[in-house]
Amino acid sequence: MVELDPILDMDFVGAGGVVVRAREFDSRILAVEPVMGDSAVLTLSLPPGMAGSLRAGQFVDVLCRVEGSYDPLLRRPYSIFRADPRTETMQLLVRPYGRGSAWLASRPAGTILDVLGPLGNTFQVNPRSRNLLMVAGGVGAAPLVMLTDHALADGRNVTYLMGAADADALLPASYLPSDVEYAVATDNGSKGHWGFVTDLVPEYLRWADQVFACGPEAMFRSLRAVASAHRLGGKPRIQVSVERTMACGLGACLGCVVETKHGMQTSCVQGPIYDMDEVVW
Amino acid sequence: MRWSGEGSVGFASRENRSLPSDGETDGRRLMAAPSLAVDLAPGNPRELVLANPVIAASGCFGYGLEYAEVMDVQRLGAFVSKGITPKPRSGNPMPRITETPAGMLNAIGLQNPGIRGFVKKYPKLWEAWKVPAIVNISAESVEEYAMMARILDEQPGVAGIEVNISCPNIAAGGYCFGWDAVMSADVTRAVRAATTLPLIVKLSPGAVDIVSVALAVEEAGADAVSLINTLVGMAIDVRTRRPVLANATGGLSGPAVKPIALRMVYQVAVAVRIPVVGMGGIMGLNDALEFFFAGANAIQVGTAIFAQPGMLIRLIDDLEDWLRREGVGSVREIVGVALPAGLPTRQAATEADVEIDFAAAVAAG
Ligand SMILES: Cc1cc2nc3c(=O)[nH]c(=O)nc-3n(C[C@H](O)[C@H](O)[C@H](O)COP(=O)(O)OP(=O)(O)OC[C@H]3O[C@@H](n4cnc5c(N)ncnc54)[C@H](O)[C@@H]3O)c2cc1C
Ligand SMILES: Cc1cc2nc3c(=O)[nH]c(=O)nc-3n(C[C@H](O)[C@H](O)[C@H](O)COP(=O)(O)O)c2cc1C
Ligand code: FES
Repeated sequence: MVELDPILDMDFVGAGGVVVRAREFDSRILAVEPVMGDSAVLTLSLPPGMAGSLRAGQFVDVLCRVEGSYDPLLRRPYSIFRADPRTETMQLLVRPYGRGSAWLASRPAGTILDVLGPLGNTFQVNPRSRNLLMVAGGVGAAPLVMLTDHALADGRNVTYLMGAADADALLPASYLPSDVEYAVATDNGSKGHWGFVTDLVPEYLRWADQVFACGPEAMFRSLRAVASAHRLGGKPRIQVSVERTMACGLGACLGCVVETKHGMQTSCVQGPIYDMDEVVW
Repeated sequence: MRWSGEGSVGFASRENRSLPSDGETDGRRLMAAPSLAVDLAPGNPRELVLANPVIAASGCFGYGLEYAEVMDVQRLGAFVSKGITPKPRSGNPMPRITETPAGMLNAIGLQNPGIRGFVKKYPKLWEAWKVPAIVNISAESVEEYAMMARILDEQPGVAGIEVNISCPNIAAGGYCFGWDAVMSADVTRAVRAATTLPLIVKLSPGAVDIVSVALAVEEAGADAVSLINTLVGMAIDVRTRRPVLANATGGLSGPAVKPIALRMVYQVAVAVRIPVVGMGGIMGLNDALEFFFAGANAIQVGTAIFAQPGMLIRLIDDLEDWLRREGVGSVREIVGVALPAGLPTRQAATEADVEIDFAAAVAAG
């Protein structure tokens, strides 16, 4: 039987030492930009002071329905794509997939959303890490963009690898700061490497001090294969953002757990960021 | 029934509608704040008096701490903990939850630290809390239920026990306790004998005849019944052609179950004399009112909290506003108003009746 520790420390101390507290708030959609084919980048207003406390890897839970409707019933989690303390805003990258995301991605500017957050833990960048490698699949690009912003601000080097079905579905380079090395892979070869984004990873493993990845289950599978074939002594460490169906987002329902070497953990509070080698896949 | 003291109230009744609410004269009553207080164990000296009838349901509120940062947990009437079992459980494999039309299915598998791990942490914490904490217990044998009740009996931060009888009885080949009146009564009697804590038995909507189960657990010494637990359901992923949940089946909750829950509350409220706690798909004031009208003395909210944690406190405020607007002095006055006249009402019990029932039940156990 796995040892359990359901008492959760809700006062998560972010990388800057700021205590980040979740709350339910109204947020206005200020702008909607189409991106990556059918996806959208939404710019959302935030309560005063929140933007500066947000950390890469955290997410928010958005109620994707109008007042009075019960469908879809539950919130949908979205990683924070970018946060701007100057304008007190954040951005989300939403791919229309099912009912919730299709509703959200098609909301016009001006819509007021019910948002719960910030939620979850954060990517942990070792203070000694100089070179960071990002590995993104599809909308998994989102949390890695925020991490890239923060890493560059801290004077680190970033290489951003991204994979998608075709050229159209890639994150345009204009969304990344110019001093990032950006390499891409597509399933149909319409841009960059013809194949998986993980095919690009081995050549960067010696350069990278840490690797950060977010994408679909299949990408994690090939990333694990690449890591076991090409890493030496488990270095560099790889942090992943995992995706589980969530209900509460606060550690109460136990619907979103991830089995780790330290027992069952709620991916909404103790995750969604895990060291890849600590997860029981 | 005791009427002494602020906030110490009996069940709702048509008979007591003329009683002034908590120390106010009839004339001033409509102007003053309506009384939201309810007593869920009027026959029990250890009483379970709630400041208001809104309770967070088991499995949907963790151990109370999880929601402390997004809402004022202390304002709730009470909350019920995640289901605790005799031994620690790591729960079911993933996926454990999936959304369905206006509802959700869950197969968490009672992940919890076990009764011993539980008592080391939570009662101590809750002792300093104003809000009553009710512990939900699940087991696979009558003896295990009793064992947990005995341990909880001595815990200072525990205001009451809610017995989840929607569990397989190993001695009966895994047949669910709550589907059978005799097995449900056996559990209730054993728990009653093991503790004097206020005891709520949580009924299963899978029961062949939920009214006979309710009557059996009342007879066996339950202070109150709560209903409904989730309905067993299923969803299949058309792409993979497999059930979505790793456990194949799961418990259905949310607005989709409300009409069934309401019907069952209505049927049970007509039959039993002990307080009834209604739940199943309550999303806001209107739903809650329906449950009160159907005979619920208090209500629980589960799934709705996931979508909008703030709705719990809003619901308390909305209820108070509604009572004031309607000129109703106490929430007790609206309990069971939808029950057809002429049907037996459970609220006629006198203090003596209830105390004899309680004593008899303890003796029987
Ligand atoms: C921590 C976290 C961060 C996330 N960040 C983002 C983000 O930045 N951008 C973004 O677009 N999405 C993100 N998601 C996914 C998002 O929360 C929704 O799951 C997604 O938008 C689909 O919701 P929906 O309502 O459109 O689909 P639903 O109607 O819920 O789904 C329809 C069907 O598809 C299945 N399904 C849902 N999602 C997937 C999937 N990804 N892959 C395969 N099957 C699926 C469902 O089980 C269901 O059967 C994140 C999820 C998590 C847990
Ligand atoms: C995720 C989840 C976990 C639950 N866990 C428990 C539990 O441990 N014990 C229990 O008695 N009921 C449990 N329930 C049932 C609820 O307490 C409640 O009876 C049911 O969900 C109906 O109410 P609702 O529609 O408001 O959610 C759980 C429900 C959900 C959705
Ligand atoms: S979503 Fe409820 S515990 Fe994570």
